[in-house]
Amino acid sequence: MKPDALRGHLDALLLATLDGRQLHGYAIIEELQQGSGGALDLPTGTVYPALRRLERAGHVTSDWSTVGGRKRRTYKLTQAGQRALLAERSAWREFTTVIDGVLGGGGKWAQT
Amino acid sequence: MGTDVIDRYMTDLGSRLQGSKKQVRDLLTETRDSLHDATEAHLDRGLTEQEAKRRAVEEFGPVKEIANEYQAELAVAYGTRTLIWLAIVLPLMHMAWEYGRMLLVGPWQDFGTMPPAWYLFIAKANDLTSGVASGVALVALVLGRILARKYDTKLLAKLAASIAILAVGVVLLGNAAIIAATAHVDASRLMQSLPMSIASLITWTVIVRLGLLARRCLSCATIVA
Repeated sequence: MKPDALRGHLDALLLATLDGRQLHGYAIIEELQQGSGGALDLPTGTVYPALRRLERAGHVTSDWSTVGGRKRRTYKLTQAGQRALLAERSAWREFTTVIDGVLGGGGKWAQT
Repeated sequence: MGTDVIDRYMTDLGSRLQGSKKQVRDLLTETRDSLHDATEAHLDRGLTEQEAKRRAVEEFGPVKEIANEYQAELAVAYGTRTLIWLAIVLPLMHMAWEYGRMLLVGPWQDFGTMPPAWYLFIAKANDLTSGVASGVALVALVLGRILARKYDTKLLAKLAASIAILAVGVVLLGNAAIIAATAHVDASRLMQSLPMSIASLITWTVIVRLGLLARRCLSCATIVA
């Protein structure tokens, strides 16, 4: 998948990746890649500024902690982040329902 | 070992960043960790060490593009820090100066003749500048948090820097105006109390320091392409 197509959804993807767990930067990148079956092809360096942006918005908090014997900055969702994730999921469902109604086949648009 | 591809990438990236030393160090530490993790992952997949490092750097992204995104975050963080300083220091400084004046010099009416109306207007405006500048900084901080995901980071960084420059500029202008006005009405008042002269000097030092912070904010925000 093209990086430009992903950028607009990066915040939501990061929030979803952090749902219910605390991860460091590279673990988040691995989860994103594994979760997409390797289809997410974003420069990994863009994830860190995006995490800072989410932190600034109060959706994520970070802490330096020792993971696997190394000191890492780990991230987790805040309550505001949980609410933002719910809103992102709801908006995404609404969006895909609308688009699928037109592009998904079966409707009058699919016949033309 | 000092010339491997990760070291070269890190040096290049580090040389392009400007901001709080701690923030830059944190970002670079995180970057190096990420590149080492990616290298280990590629080594596990059977690549040679050099190839694994090269792939890790390649996947991380072109240094110019990544530095640009990092710099935008550093600039906004520096802007936020400066606005916090302005919101706290300006009213405290003004209150300390006024309290000191009341204690050491007393109310202005005690000087004998009542100053002209235009002087009182400048004095009142100067009294308000610190509070207004502090309030504007606070509002900018709150809006910055609300708008963090809605607006481009580069734009927010430039806005924060502009507000900081404007806030310090207004306070500077207010202080310069009251000093010029006092000198015009009765220059001897400026030197009437040594402790108050020292307090004024401290006030100016703080304002200049805040001005330098605000200028660095702008510099951090404007090196972003």
